[in-house]
Amino acid sequence: MEKILEVLFSGASIGAIYALIALGFVLIFKSTGILNFAQGELCMIGAFICYQFATLLNIPYILSFLIAIALGALLGSLIDLLFFRRLVGEPIYSTIMVTVGLGSILTCFSGLIWGHDVYALRSPFMNKTVSAGGMIFSQASLYTIGISILLFALFILFFNRSLLGVALKGTAEDSDTAGLMGINVKKMHMIIWAIGSTVAVVAGVFLAEQSFVQTSMSHTGIKAMSAAILGGMESLPGAIIGGFIVGIVESFAANYLSGLEMAGFHFGDIKDVVAFAIMIIVLMIRPHGIFGKEEVKRV
Amino acid sequence: MSGSYKVSYKEDMAIFQNLWVKVWLIIFIILAVFSPILLNRYQLSILNEMGIATIGALGLNLLIGYTGQLSLGHGAFLAIGAYTSALLTGKLGIPFFLSLPLSGLMASLLGLVVGIPSLRLKGLYLALGTLAFAFIVEYILFHWDLTQGDLGMAVKRIGIGDYVIRSQRQYFYLIMAFATFAVICTKNLDRSKIGRSFKAIRDRDIAAEAMGIPLAKYKVMAFGISAFYGGVAGCLMAHYNRWIVPGSFDISLSIAYIAMIIIGGLGTVLGSVLGAILITGVPHGIVYVVDLLKGDYPALSGFIIDFKLGIFGLIIVLTLLFEPKGLFGVYQRTKVYFKTWPFKY
Repeated sequence: MEKILEVLFSGASIGAIYALIALGFVLIFKSTGILNFAQGELCMIGAFICYQFATLLNIPYILSFLIAIALGALLGSLIDLLFFRRLVGEPIYSTIMVTVGLGSILTCFSGLIWGHDVYALRSPFMNKTVSAGGMIFSQASLYTIGISILLFALFILFFNRSLLGVALKGTAEDSDTAGLMGINVKKMHMIIWAIGSTVAVVAGVFLAEQSFVQTSMSHTGIKAMSAAILGGMESLPGAIIGGFIVGIVESFAANYLSGLEMAGFHFGDIKDVVAFAIMIIVLMIRPHGIFGKEEVKRV
Repeated sequence: MSGSYKVSYKEDMAIFQNLWVKVWLIIFIILAVFSPILLNRYQLSILNEMGIATIGALGLNLLIGYTGQLSLGHGAFLAIGAYTSALLTGKLGIPFFLSLPLSGLMASLLGLVVGIPSLRLKGLYLALGTLAFAFIVEYILFHWDLTQGDLGMAVKRIGIGDYVIRSQRQYFYLIMAFATFAVICTKNLDRSKIGRSFKAIRDRDIAAEAMGIPLAKYKVMAFGISAFYGGVAGCLMAHYNRWIVPGSFDISLSIAYIAMIIIGGLGTVLGSVLGAILITGVPHGIVYVVDLLKGDYPALSGFIIDFKLGIFGLIIVLTLLFEPKGLFGVYQRTKVYFKTWPFKY
């Protein structure tokens, strides 16, 4: 029982990260119609920026986190300005391919600047644990889950209560009509890109906290895509719940399936593929996800 | 628009549209026959890589460019082809000329399996599905005893009876023969009923269905054919490099192939060839430049892989932003310019 709770908890802490990244996917997809394959790379860049300030330049953790967030937002709006402003309404393959290309470019930059080694982020929660009821939790995980839940609540409030949030929602629903109502659609798209990459940066820093800072962190972004698919590409609560589900399933698979061997096949590192297996299953059975609306369009 | 009007259907369907095509073909054949004598081993090895890439790119272009089905998992089909042939020739002792079509068929079979969801999924969902498929294939190759994980597998030399292919020159003739054959096949596919159905599906699938094209059949077929090309390219790659590891068939390989067909020109045979030549040439160009600058900046050689990835990304992004038709579009424009010169059109 305690083992199950511990697995559940570690699953939730990685799930919170998936949920954050998936939130970024959904936000950008919903309002601009672009599926950002570079979300994982943004997440990695964010972690590296935080590492640069916190570990290399010895700036306090909170401050470097904030700097990373600000730079992430800047990067996001820059990406929108440079690439995606011209691509609104282009065929879907070209927008996807541009984000894939963008991901390669970001990886190239981080490789050139920081190299391909594995680094540790110096944070106040490193290697600290809390024990409660005979179980041991790492502080970093608790902190990740706590802050993520706070952020989700803030996002939902922001999109339902604030004027800007409602404008963003309106743009996402129908950008033409929103433009006619006097909303600056281009500016809204830029803000969405900024928010999307900010969320990615936060996820990246959390991820770095739980493991390390490295270039291959960007794979987490692709895994988080299965969370977005599971929740339905258009739904914010869906992305959050999908993220937690994927994280928890992954954690259980890693604990109970790893080390199994069948006919010469080793189930090691199974947590690298669980998310993809979920993605394929969801795409086969229910492509519109749990919360998505089914598009009735038979071809 | 280029001023070439055809008066009969037969003329439109001709594989050699005019005399110039034949002349270029003869020039190409003469070059192909004599280049192994003139070029050194390194230059030949680049040409060999380009030949293999051409086959793979043709396959991917059939899927993305002709049929409009987005796939981010072409590298997985190459991996399947490579490993199938390595296992067949290595473990079972099957000769190369049998294992080559078999590896193509194996990839094709799995391509059909991936193709089935394409009946329900479109656009980005399909891209995600193929991406997930590619990751799962990579995982299986890493974790299966049969494929020896990241230790990699040695692959036998290509041999027919007692005749074994050893030198770059022999490889060159073999690979060029296959690449030429692949181009001819694609060209024929392009002008046949199948190719036209593919294009109709790409342009508007609902209209295509209304015109009497069975969507399910052709969509799955596109996946199968594309995977077959990928499998053959992977098989040739395995026998050419004679060592395969799962890591060399990861997502970056799929991205390289997508970069090829985007820079070359989607939905054209010439574009696939041009793109394969350019994208295969770029890393060698980077190595060349780095070698030149090594004396002044010795640290540069550590960045070759990063530069390669970044330049591929940049090529994809810039082509899509500024020249969506790729090199083929540039070629067409220049051709029209010279044909109609000094008039605008």
